[in-house]
Amino acid sequence: MSEKVRIAQLSCGPEYSGVQKEIYDAAAMVDAEVFFPDIMLDDVREGFESFGLDVRSPDLKLAIGRAKALVEGKIDADAVFIATCFRCAEAAIVRNELRRYIHENSSLPVVSYSFTERTTSGTLLTRMEALTTIARRRALLAREEQEGITLGIDSGSSTTKAVVMKENEIVGTGWLPTTEVLKSAEGAVDLALAEAGVTMNDIQAIGTTGYGRYLIGKHFNAQLVQEELTVNSKGAVYLAGRQHGPATVIDIGGMDNKAISVLDGIPGTFTMGGICAGASGRFLEMTAKRLGIDITELGPLAMKGMGEKVPMNSYCIVFGTQSLVNALAEGSSREDVAAAACHSVAEQVFEQQLQEVDIKEPVIMVGGTSLIQGLVYAMGQLLQTEVVVPHHSQYIGAVGSALLASGFVKGE
Amino acid sequence: MVKVFIYPATSLILSDMVARFGHEPLGSAIGIRERIQTPGFESPPLQITPEEPKKGLKWAAVEVPSGVRGRMAVYGPLIEAAEAAIIVRNPDFAFGCMGCARTNELVLFHLRNRGFPVLELDYPTSDDEGAAFVAAIREFLEGLPKEASQ
Amino acid sequence: MAEYVPKYVGTVTKYVFVESPLLTPKDLAVRAYEISGGVMIKETCFGLQVTGTPDEVEALVAKVREFDPSHIFVKDRGFPPGDERRCRANLGGARPGYLGHEFEMGKVRYISKGLEAAATTVPPLPEKPKPFDARRLKKLMDAEEP
Repeated sequence: MSEKVRIAQLSCGPEYSGVQKEIYDAAAMVDAEVFFPDIMLDDVREGFESFGLDVRSPDLKLAIGRAKALVEGKIDADAVFIATCFRCAEAAIVRNELRRYIHENSSLPVVSYSFTERTTSGTLLTRMEALTTIARRRALLAREEQEGITLGIDSGSSTTKAVVMKENEIVGTGWLPTTEVLKSAEGAVDLALAEAGVTMNDIQAIGTTGYGRYLIGKHFNAQLVQEELTVNSKGAVYLAGRQHGPATVIDIGGMDNKAISVLDGIPGTFTMGGICAGASGRFLEMTAKRLGIDITELGPLAMKGMGEKVPMNSYCIVFGTQSLVNALAEGSSREDVAAAACHSVAEQVFEQQLQEVDIKEPVIMVGGTSLIQGLVYAMGQLLQTEVVVPHHSQYIGAVGSALLASGFVKGE
Repeated sequence: MVKVFIYPATSLILSDMVARFGHEPLGSAIGIRERIQTPGFESPPLQITPEEPKKGLKWAAVEVPSGVRGRMAVYGPLIEAAEAAIIVRNPDFAFGCMGCARTNELVLFHLRNRGFPVLELDYPTSDDEGAAFVAAIREFLEGLPKEASQ
Repeated sequence: MAEYVPKYVGTVTKYVFVESPLLTPKDLAVRAYEISGGVMIKETCFGLQVTGTPDEVEALVAKVREFDPSHIFVKDRGFPPGDERRCRANLGGARPGYLGHEFEMGKVRYISKGLEAAATTVPPLPEKPKPFDARRLKKLMDAEEP
């Protein structure tokens, strides 16, 4: 195993919430170690005062002092993890400002998280994995072209996607709903291979991502098993032809959402999560079902409606569904209800997650939900920008995996 | 000898003064020692487990951040056991156990409302202030009962 | 979840800080070892950490204070000495409490002055409560609304 990735922790409260061990455990799972930047009291004072954010909590002052020491290069680190208590306004301000400060003034990948006493290492794992990948695999992530014949598999919570790529072209795709993880993956792979006209023997390297990445990675003997934050960032800028400069990637998934601020194809800051399925693709699926249409019809239907006509707040999927039923019972049109559902999901992602990353154009939407035009439109309205949806965006994880896996072709 | 809660609860100076003048200082170390010496589930570094923020619900509602409730699980019982308190106002640079301003506000509120003797003063910034600081603490501590009120 | 088995159960650990023109942490350690009587002593950059039963530690601390009463300061510690959960080498940086000590150590010279001043003065007797004036009490009672 390579040298441990050193993650600097800037935090207030995890030791007192009983979750510091979870942070240690998550880091250990990806062969990283968490440390606390060592600075003197004068560094805290100076750093805090020069930063200019006059907070009262001493541990937040300490976090600011430590962030300054990291940015100024006084302390060596490979990545930064910022963690503060959920529901603390003072800490939320510090968390956001420090993330921005570190992102803009250093090349350190940074992720922030607000925890409760219920936070587990499992929740933190993908974030820690992304942090360590960026730190450890910059060379791999620098890849801009796919080479050879590679297979990428994305085992998501709702669907499983597979893509075969050959000499920088997508030559085969396949997708199936995720039922049994391995069975769905095998099915999707067969579809992609058939379309590409190749067999498993022709595949030179395999990459896997998504929730089932470890399981299918082992099953298919994958060379690359990678979390979806880095893979999707890479896939998004590749498909959109925006590999250089800044970009923002939004992926509204079936179970959680990702918002990633990318520079030159490498994620800088990212958020992952969602309070409730009401803010995810799952709610749109339910809406389609209630309207008696296929999910593919929801987008065009929503484009014909006016979101503002129907009040809907899908903060909770149960109440969100109820307001949907109410709206229909009160005689609202199916178009307006579809539009309201799209608007509600977009609004929540906007409020809960996009506030935590710096939105830089182009904004690229990926994942299955990016095919729902109504959702993309609503997001564009909220962000006041034209949202880019590249061709094959629903295969983003599989494309990113196939692209990055080509780093392993010919025993590289 | 009575139990005197010290604020900041991590203060070397206050812990020393209280013990020097014949009383028992109650601060963070006492609460942390109890946890460090009690068997249970491993939860480094302080052996404050995710159960502690739930115990903290006695002093702060569920809408209060977990870090505040976890700290209150340490301080709450100490405040309840205390018979007097010495408060040094505005400890800007007491970290860790005293690292959260919201917890500190709540601790101060409870101390001021316990109905026991409380001395409030500021950190000295000169020799003269140092003399006044020590004299005030000494006078306060000598005015407390020599025996614990059980 | 892993089981936690505590060490040093029933002991107390105290920090002994010294900030004196006459006594270095090294001197303090040497002299403390002489009278330690088997109590565990760990030398640190600021003084000592003493670990043992509460009585042992109390007795040793009382004797150590006598070396330089206005320049030695004592405080409880939650952890036993050398505990890796608090060790700088493991954390990568000082535990937060260290910086708090750093802050207060910048103040102790004023406290030393205060202690020296206090040692030369007899502390004023606590003010005795004066018996309540009966005439004033009557007045207050009359003023009370029925």
